[in-house]
This record gives sequence, C-alpha cells and structure tokens, in this order.
Amino acid sequence: MPLPQPTPLPPTWADRLLRFVCPADLQEELLGDLHEQFEQQVDQLGETKARRLYVWEVICFCRPYLIRRQFRTRTVIAHAYSSPECRTTSFLSPLMLRSNLKIAFRNLWKHKMFSFINVMGLSVGMTACFLIALYVHFELTYDAFHQKADRIYRLATDLKTESETIQYDISSWAYAPNLKQDFPEVENFVRISTKGRIVRKGDLKFQEDKTVFADSSFFSVFNFKLLKGDSRTALAEPMSVVLPQKTVRKYFGDADPMGQTLLLGDDGVPAKITGIMEDIPENSQIKGDLFISMISYTDYFNKGIENEWGDFGAISFLLLKPGANPDALAKKFPQFLESHAGKMMREYKLGITLVLEPLREVYLYSKRPAEESGSVTNVTVFSVIGLFILLLACINFSNLTTARSADRAKEVGVRKAIGAARWLLARQFIGESVLLCLVAFLVAVLLSAVLIPGFNTLAGKTISPGIGSNLPFVGGMFIAASAIGCLAGTYPALVLSSFEPVTVLKGRFMANATGIFVRKGLVTLQFAISITLVIATIVIYSQVDFMRTRDLGFSKDQMLVIKAQAGTKRNVFDAAISRMSGVKSTAASSSVPGGWNPQAASSLENNSGDMQAGNLDVYRVDFDFISQYNLKVVAGRPFSRNFPADSSQSLMINEAMAKVLGYSRPQAAIGKRFDQWGRKGTIVGVLKDFHFKSLQETIKPLTFRVTDWWNGDLLSVKIDGRQVRQTLEAIEAQWKQHNPDRPFDYYFMDEFFDRQYRSDERFQTLFVNFALLAIFISCLGLLGLASYTTVQRTKEIGVRKVLGASTGSIVGLLSKDFLKLVVLAFLIASPLAWYGMHRWLENFAYQTPIRWWVFGSAGVLSVTVAFVTISFQSIRAALLNPVKSLRSE
Amino acid sequence: MSRTYLGEFEELVLLTVAILNGSAYGLNIAEELKQRTNRSINLSGVHVALYRLEEKGFVQSELGGATPARGGRRKRLFLITTYGKRTLDELRQVRNDLWEAIPNLSFS
Repeated sequence: MPLPQPTPLPPTWADRLLRFVCPADLQEELLGDLHEQFEQQVDQLGETKARRLYVWEVICFCRPYLIRRQFRTRTVIAHAYSSPECRTTSFLSPLMLRSNLKIAFRNLWKHKMFSFINVMGLSVGMTACFLIALYVHFELTYDAFHQKADRIYRLATDLKTESETIQYDISSWAYAPNLKQDFPEVENFVRISTKGRIVRKGDLKFQEDKTVFADSSFFSVFNFKLLKGDSRTALAEPMSVVLPQKTVRKYFGDADPMGQTLLLGDDGVPAKITGIMEDIPENSQIKGDLFISMISYTDYFNKGIENEWGDFGAISFLLLKPGANPDALAKKFPQFLESHAGKMMREYKLGITLVLEPLREVYLYSKRPAEESGSVTNVTVFSVIGLFILLLACINFSNLTTARSADRAKEVGVRKAIGAARWLLARQFIGESVLLCLVAFLVAVLLSAVLIPGFNTLAGKTISPGIGSNLPFVGGMFIAASAIGCLAGTYPALVLSSFEPVTVLKGRFMANATGIFVRKGLVTLQFAISITLVIATIVIYSQVDFMRTRDLGFSKDQMLVIKAQAGTKRNVFDAAISRMSGVKSTAASSSVPGGWNPQAASSLENNSGDMQAGNLDVYRVDFDFISQYNLKVVAGRPFSRNFPADSSQSLMINEAMAKVLGYSRPQAAIGKRFDQWGRKGTIVGVLKDFHFKSLQETIKPLTFRVTDWWNGDLLSVKIDGRQVRQTLEAIEAQWKQHNPDRPFDYYFMDEFFDRQYRSDERFQTLFVNFALLAIFISCLGLLGLASYTTVQRTKEIGVRKVLGASTGSIVGLLSKDFLKLVVLAFLIASPLAWYGMHRWLENFAYQTPIRWWVFGSAGVLSVTVAFVTISFQSIRAALLNPVKSLRSE
Repeated sequence: MSRTYLGEFEELVLLTVAILNGSAYGLNIAEELKQRTNRSINLSGVHVALYRLEEKGFVQSELGGATPARGGRRKRLFLITTYGKRTLDELRQVRNDLWEAIPNLSFS
C-alpha cells in the first residue's frame, strides 16, 4: 500500500507576513482560502509555480484597506469576527494597543508632577548628550573628508641641539621633493606654508593672515573641491592664486574672478586667479583664505629656499602608495638625511629626525604645536560626562517609575486576576516607558535646535550649522531614546509585574525593602557623580583663574602693540606718537611676550668653560624694551645707550638660560662669551624669568640682543589708562599720515593674553554647564523620590502632629534619610574627583594647588541644594492640616 | 447619489454572491468570476470587496464548518442581504432605462 504523499505546504514566511498584515479576526478565513487555492494550483500547475503564485497573492494582500482595518473600531459591523475560543489578545493588537495607550496617557496625566519631572530630566539629559555627541563627532572626523586620508602622512621634524630637542610640525622645503625622488613608495607630496600678506584689489586692501603657499599637487592629494579651474594646473604656474568662495565674495562680490589679478605683498606683485574652490570645511586642519602656488614662493619670494636643508618652515604632507609601510619608510630617513645634509648637520651640531604622522591622527593626538589642535583629553572627558548625564537621567527615570509602582499595584492585580501573563504586563510597562522617552525625545530635539547656536559660540567653532544638517544624529537619538526607554523601563517593569495579585487586591500592599534599598543606592550614585563634577568644576575654575591672575613677570596693562612691517617711516612715526600726551613710552622689538619669536643657532659659554650650542629663542629689542615691559634685571646691567658696543657685542639672557648653562647664581653668567647669528661678545645681564609663552609651558631659555629696526617688527606703546580711546585714534591718524598704504594693525597686550586662556575658559564654561545639568537632573530625581515618600507617610505625619510634633522636627525627620545619602555620595566622590583633577592638572606647567576647601564647599553646596530640594516637599507635608490627612478613606 | 456607492468590481462580486446562493466564499467567488469574465482575479481583491460590501450592508456573513481541505480552517460564507438585492434591482432598472433610451438599437 503506497503511503499518502505529504501535502506540500505554502511558504511559512508568507503566512507570517499575512498574519502581520491582516486583522487577527480575518486571518483564519483568508489563510483557509489561500491554502485551498494553493492545493488546487499545486495539482494544476506544479508546486514551484503554485508557491510563486501564493507569495504573489500574499503580497497582494498588503492593501491599505486591510491594514487600516486593523486600527478601526468595529462599530460598523454587527458582530466581531473573533473566534469563540479564549485566547490572550496580542499585545500589539489594535484593541490592546488602544487600551494600553489610553492607560499610559491617563497615568501620565494623572501624575503631572511626576511625568513632568521624568520628561524634563530625560529630555535635558538627552539634549546634553546629543550636543556632546555632535562635538565629539566633529572632533573625531577632523580631516576625514580626504579620500586618501589613510595614505597621507605629515612629515614632522625633531630638531636636536646640544641643549634640547624641539618638536616641530614643520620641515624643510627640500625634504618632501627629495623624498619623492629617492623613494618610489612616496607617490606624491604637498607642502603648505602659511604667511601673512597684504592683498590688494583696486582700493580694497586687507591684511590676510592666512595666505597659504601650496604645491600644485594640493588638489590631487587632498579633497578640496575646485568649482572653477583645472585641479592639475591651478597651482602649477608662478603667481597663480586659488580662492575659496568666501574670499571671492570679499574681493569680487558676485563678479566672476577667473583670470583677474590680485596684488600680493608690500610690493604689490600681481597674481592671477586660476581657480575657485569650495569653502574649506570647518573640521579641516588645513585652512586658508588664499592659496598661492608654492612655486611663486620657492622661485620668487624666497628663491633658493628649496636647497636649504636646515631651514624649516613648510608643513609637508606625503602621499604614500597604497600598501606602502610608513614605518619601513621612516627607517630609511636617517640614511636619507645623512646623504643629503650630513655635512650641514655636523657643522651646526644639529641632529634632525623625521617623523611620519598619519593625517587623521595629527589633529587630536599630535603634541607638536599647530594652528589647529584638538585634545583627546577633552573629547574623552566630554564623552564620559555625556554618558554620565544620560545615566543620571536613566536612573531618575527608573527610580521615579519604581517609586510609583505602589500606585499601580491595584491595576496590576486586576490585570493578573483577569489573566494577563507576567511578560505581557512587563511589556506594557516597558512600552509605557518607551512612550515617555519618545515624548522626551521630541522635547530634546526642540531644545537642541534652540541650543545649537549657543553651543557653537561656546565651543568657538561652527560645530553644526543647525539641527537640519544633523538628521542622521537625530535618527540616532531617536533609536537611542527608544533603547533608553527599554533599558530604564526594565527594572520598574519587572518590579511591577512581579506583584502577587492576591496580596495586592486584599489591599495589604507595602513597598518592599529591597526596592527601597536599590532606589537609595541609585540616588547615592547620582549624587556621587554630580559632586564629582562640582569638585572638578571648582578645580578647573581655580586653575583658569590662577593662570589669568598670575604675575607673568612683565607689565601688560594699557600696552598697545602695533605691527609695523617694513615701515621705513617708523622712526618719524615713533617720534610723532612719543610726543603725544597719552603715550607714556614706546619700544620696538622683533617679538613681544605671548607672540612669535625667532630662533637662532647659538653657542654660549657654560660653567665648564665650553661653548654650548643650541637653537635658542631670541628677542631682538631696542634699548627701551626692558624698561618698557618692566623686566627685572637680577644680575649685571640692562642694555644701555651709554654702551655703544651693546648693539654689536652684548647679549642678555634670562634666568632659565643661566640655569641651562649650569650657573647656580645668575651673577656667574655675567661676562661669559657668546656666539650667535654672526655676533660674538659677552653676556652683560641676566633678566628675571617672565612668561614669554603661555602659562601652559614652563619658561624656556631666552636671549636678548639689541638690533635696529627692521622688517616685521612690533612697536609696543604704553598708553595712559585715562585716555585710551582718544590716544588710539590719534595714533591711528599719525599712522595713516606716515604710512598711507599700510593697514593699521594693532592689538592690546592684555586682551591678547586673555585670548590665550580662551580654550581653557571654554573648557571651563562647558564643564560648568554640564555640572549644573548633572546637579539639576539629580535634584529632579531627589525631588521625585522625596515627594513620593512624603505622600506615603502622610498618615504618619498626621499622627505625629496630633501627638504634638513640631513642624521643624517633622521636616528634620523627612530630610534626614535623604541627607544621609548625599553625605555618603560626597564621601565616595571626593577621592575620585581628587584623583581625576590631579591627572588633569598634570597638563599644566604651573598648577594651582587643590585645596581642602574645594571639597568642603562642594560638600556644603550639594547638601544645601539637596536639603532645599527636599524641604519643598517636607515643609508642605509638615504644614498640612492633620485633620485632612487623617480622614478615613 | 444618495445611495451608498457600488463600484463596478464590487457589483460583479455582489452578483456572484447572489449566483452562488449561500455557498459563496472568497475562493469560489474568485473562480466563478474568472470563468465568467476571463479576467485575472486575485483573492485579496475579492476579499476586500466582500468586506466592503459587508460594511455597506449589501452582504452578510457567517463562519461555516471546518473542512480538512484547508488545513482545518473554517470558511466565511457570504449571503446577499435584502438591501443588496434591492440595490442590484435598482441598478438593473437604471441600466435598462438607459438602454431603451438609445435610438435605433442595432450595433451590428
């Protein structure tokens, strides 16, 4: 007897799709018809075709009508199509969904205070997190838009002299082209060098600080988009310029600049515009307002520079061939330098080491000084803070929801008695918390949109032009919000769904002890995090304040610095302004504190009588400079016009220099020999150390020489503080009179120095804001919890009052429990904060001590804030008329 | 039109329900239509039309017995209601009037 063939079945996934699409009450008959048809078709057309038709048929069932019908009430139809046997209604079925949504919204509405606290905390936390995410992403994607970024390396130089090693971000003009010649693995190179230039077009005249000389390979190695012009030849010819759009607007408005000329520099060298490029993205370490062909520099402005192996000034990038190993290449560098520049290095006693830094890591990780540099520390710190804040918001949410669980115990009891499974209930509650999170998400999106401009100002760069340009982030935030809803909702959902219906419905339900313990633990954690942030804020603040108020060792108030450039008329001008009543004194120098200064290969006699060589910082000054800046002479004498030899064979040094030379007393350095930049002579004086660079660095050795005025010098003018504005205007008028074709370029020393701490101040401001946020969120949590417990204990308070307790004692009673937690949190936070701040301060050469009162004040502050928060609730509860609270239900 | 609107396909389905007289359910309505109209008819269309007709009150339905042929699933059997019949009659009347209004009835 042959066995009956098993009947072929249609694809199960298609059936599942149909179940998903069609209303539950229609599924049986539809599947029935479909299967019947399928069996017929198997007989008529064969199984494969039947299956294909079946799938098609199911896809045809995805009709709007049927999908709509799922969400429609069935009042139209006289009888519902549900099957007679009892089944648990699916959680997502329209009926249950509607009822659950209704319940959720009713609950939110009924407890407005709780919902408000919840949504507030969450949305504020999300907003902070979102902004931080934008910032972190911005920092991490620096230079990421170059397609070849992973093959581009910056060629940096370590210069070793006898006294120190200097790490430059620059290298010589000669290195990159020769490397390309000698090594096949170097596919291409780009050198860029940023100079300041005066740029003129007709009557328009601007001092452009970011004119960049760049090799013709600039557009093929990097992905800067040319809108007009040929990327291969745009920077190939001498005196050709490519302008970003914003520069085009500045000089030409809406006219087409292609082929026009601009006049560059003091001599007004004409340069032809050969291309227009898109504005450079904000997160690029290479920035510029005009790009001039490098050949103009190496053949015209500075002829012969390409053969100088010891002259550093160009930032060089190498593009390696795909698959080339940078480490292997770097191993060949010493040999390369020896063959080309060995003689020079021995002659000047220099050791040159070349380093390859991957382009993507330069911005965040490179320790070398640069125009644009980010800090990994900041990125990490803010990421951590962002996560913390989000964690705080989640804890709040969990806490508040769980705390309210008793209110909903009856609902759970009833549902369970009717026959709800535990996991269904848990799902309902998680769904509710997801809903709440999505509400918070909407608020957070609005908040972010409002806050982004302010955040850009805070960060000091355009991190985001507006929320519209960060839609992927908004999408991410949406997903994150749902995830947070699931995570934060899990604990309360588990607690809620674990209730025993019998005990609950009897009405003898009490919150259990473990729940209280967990909640208290979470509140403690919240406050520990907040207090840590508060302490950190205070330390950061005092460090920044310390740097701003520290005596830098020179006077900088009312000091006007004028960039004179090669002004032949400078002596006349100087004499003219010196006569003004508002001008106290003037001095000229190559450099001023806080700014750039030249370096020179020098040798000075050390305490063992040898000539010690090194590359030293030099200040070229005139005779008035030392008195102008109130620099203290600690040994020997200052430069003086009474010693004519001073301008040809005298040198002054700072204390740090004397120490490097091995002189324990500054006095010992006087009269020692020096040899620097073609001058030989003796050291005549030692100046007290002053901070000529920012306070983040230790004071380095420095030498002073007297020279006459020459190119690019600075004129420091001390102005009478009572008439700054008039004097400034008068000086400008004089300038225009004597140097009509030069822009009057000046700054005030104290403003300039304040600018140095701007990045630290930004860090501080951001930190303060986030710390406040954290405290705010924690307090919201505390408020919610406190109000909950006071409501729970209304009867107890009533009884106590009737028996004669004072309001104060009741407030104390209610606050005590919570203040204990805050104190405990403080004890946990203090050592953590101390350690973290200790590490952060290590970034600074001059640190403020971490004093005990920092911790004291943070502790007092947090306890106070917590107490105020709690007393809102507790005082209200204590003042309540006991008659009201003791009325029987 | 004050009456509930009846689409062309809905009208065909309604007529088929009337033809099958009590044994009408999704699949055999579809087959009947295929044979009589030579159209390609798919089940989902028929079902949606049926549910719409039911919402408009032209048909009523009940669950029939289970047959092993369909994996033990029950059919929903559709019956034309009086209102449905009346509507069909009215439609037919309107059409007949229109036909008679055409001058010289010979299209051959």
